[in-house]
Amino acid sequence: MLLTLDLNDARPLHDQVASAIRRAIGEGSYRPGDRLPPARDLAAAMGINPNTVLRALRDLRDEGMLEFRRGRGVSVAGRADGHADGRALLTQRARELLEEAKRYGYSRDDLITILEGLK
Amino acid sequence: MRDRVIAVAWWLIVAGVLLLAPLRLRDRLPDPLATHWGSLGSVPDGSSSFIGFVIFTQVAWAVLWLVFFVLGNARGKQVRQRRMTSWGCLVGVGVVLLGAGLSTLSANLDVTGWQDALLPGWHIPLVIAAAIAAGGLAAYLGRGAPDEPSPEGQAPPMLRLRAGQRAVWVSRVVNRWLLVAVALGMVITVVTAALGLSGTVPGVAVTAILPGFVILFVAGLASVAVTVRVGADRIVIGFGPFGWPARRIRLSKVETAWAEERQPASHGGWGFRGMPGAATIMLRGGECLVLRYRSGGQLAISIDDAERGASLINALIAERVNS
Repeated sequence: MLLTLDLNDARPLHDQVASAIRRAIGEGSYRPGDRLPPARDLAAAMGINPNTVLRALRDLRDEGMLEFRRGRGVSVAGRADGHADGRALLTQRARELLEEAKRYGYSRDDLITILEGLK
Repeated sequence: MRDRVIAVAWWLIVAGVLLLAPLRLRDRLPDPLATHWGSLGSVPDGSSSFIGFVIFTQVAWAVLWLVFFVLGNARGKQVRQRRMTSWGCLVGVGVVLLGAGLSTLSANLDVTGWQDALLPGWHIPLVIAAAIAAGGLAAYLGRGAPDEPSPEGQAPPMLRLRAGQRAVWVSRVVNRWLLVAVALGMVITVVTAALGLSGTVPGVAVTAILPGFVILFVAGLASVAVTVRVGADRIVIGFGPFGWPARRIRLSKVETAWAEERQPASHGGWGFRGMPGAATIMLRGGECLVLRYRSGGQLAISIDDAERGASLINALIAERVNS
């Protein structure tokens, strides 16, 4: 699992970690049903506290992207046909687009207008 | 699927014969049985109780069958060489055990004590010849379709790291079959120790085999799982279910990385293989991450998602080490 964190990102660290995991799943490194590496390993690789990673994993579980199973660790939720991947990636990209729009002074409604203008 | 059914049926047939034949002939056999013959051939020099003989043949067959079945059915790309080895050994070893079992029974049949059980000289060559013939035939019949040429030497996709971005890669591979083997090793260790302590089996036998199983158990545990982490300046390879012990490789020592399909059959089997400079950490066939050191050596690790890992290692070397 390839995770990228932006050091200039002002969001809370667990949000950044959740975004990074979302992006990794969206890019297809993990398919529905695949197990994620243990939180301990992810935390050690990123040099952060395991609890921060666990919080990010719980957030993603609440979004319905991950499944926690006792004794089987954390795995990617979603249908076997892989549609969850595309949706996850689009959601992630939309979030990033929205943040960029805000940086340029456009609101969420402005962005929706722009999207509707695209045919 | 069909291959697995045949393999399981073969196991049941051999296990059935090795169980039912001695039980059926029990009235006509001495107890203990002669089970080992000296270098001269015909005169026995070792014996075993009837129950011990039956249990030994069953356990030996089950373990050997499992080893060669796993060889042929392990996850990853199917390779002809592996299929043929698996089928040849599966059938050949079965015939050896079958022949040895039946030959032991026929030698012991209707004798008063195990010392009188003489082994006809033609038994051993016949069993060996039959095993070679059957194994060779099975390997030929089970050869399957020829291998597809594997795409080798492909450079992984380029990954660009932006300034102020921290990228890490984590992957893990677990060998479930090895997990089963380790559990089996542990059970055998415990059972043997218990039998030895309770005096059912002579203490000498226990002290002779127990260290072997303990080594097997520890070595197996270390190679059940491998974790690879690529961080800012180093690659960390963690062994075993807890990622410890770990081996750290500084990125400045690595020249390049790529992903490659590798098979245990062509790298000396599973586990830690090779010499320093050309080592392979092989837990399963298939995708491997290969590192080439600046000193010229190579290290290959069987791991999932190896291509992304190789991309990140190359990007980190290009941007953080060389610049």
